[in-house]
Amino acid sequence: MILIRCPYCDEQRPEVEFVYAGEAHISRPQNPNLLSDDEWAEYLFIRKNARGVHYERWVHAHGCARYFNAARNTVTDKILMTYKTGEPKPSVEEIAEAAK
Amino acid sequence: MSSNQHSNELTIDQGVVLAPVLTGASHEVSVVLVPERARFSLRVKPSNLKALSEASELDLPEKIGASTLASSTKILCLGPDERLVVSDVTSGGTLRRMFAELSSQISFSYADISHRNVAFEISGARAVKLLNTGCPLDLCLRAFPVGKCTRTVFEHAEITLLREGEYRFYVELWRSFAPYFVRLLEKAVKSR
Repeated sequence: MILIRCPYCDEQRPEVEFVYAGEAHISRPQNPNLLSDDEWAEYLFIRKNARGVHYERWVHAHGCARYFNAARNTVTDKILMTYKTGEPKPSVEEIAEAAK
Repeated sequence: MSSNQHSNELTIDQGVVLAPVLTGASHEVSVVLVPERARFSLRVKPSNLKALSEASELDLPEKIGASTLASSTKILCLGPDERLVVSDVTSGGTLRRMFAELSSQISFSYADISHRNVAFEISGARAVKLLNTGCPLDLCLRAFPVGKCTRTVFEHAEITLLREGEYRFYVELWRSFAPYFVRLLEKAVKSR
């Protein structure tokens, strides 16, 4: 079982308490009316599908019920760091530091 | 539910029958159905917590996982803005009136969830072992000390767990999950 650190509970908790919630740091366009269909489709459907470090949202559904962000390596499936919603996207160096 | 006609006499069928194997046939572990309780889900922003704590004279825990116990009222901090208040049925009426009054002065929300949950008390030397048949948390005293509470899972049911003593746990879960939970416990006790 994978243990995931919830930044709100500040604890390592079992994976079964969590639910994955897609790629992180995708903000809704301020004014969707001004977007072309292609741009809107890009916002809705197009994701990075990164090989390597991927920024993603998780929710501690059976815990504190909060959404938070995680950086995970999609090759090794190792969760490198987790951080609260609203905090800036960490750099590769910060992730490497946190994963130590 | 009508907003002003609340009776203090909430009586419902909690819908759970405990098998003798759980209720003390063994001295090592026993499961007791807690009688009916008044419960509130209290949502308050951290910035308003102190004001609400003072005005209500309830000792609202600040940290996730912390709990407080005053006379018959347990307060569990389950999330950054979420507290679960459990009291006996008689004080439930008083709490409800107080929350209604305070809600005009302080920004917070309260929802009466008395009938949503049922609670069990699981105690005995094997209580941890029994809980760990379905709950993946580390329940050793160092990781889960007395007074700590959390929402977690027991097999496929979501439970709220509070450690009240080294060998005593208080478990709340949705009423509709209770027969499932009880049957799993029964099986675990029998098959040890």
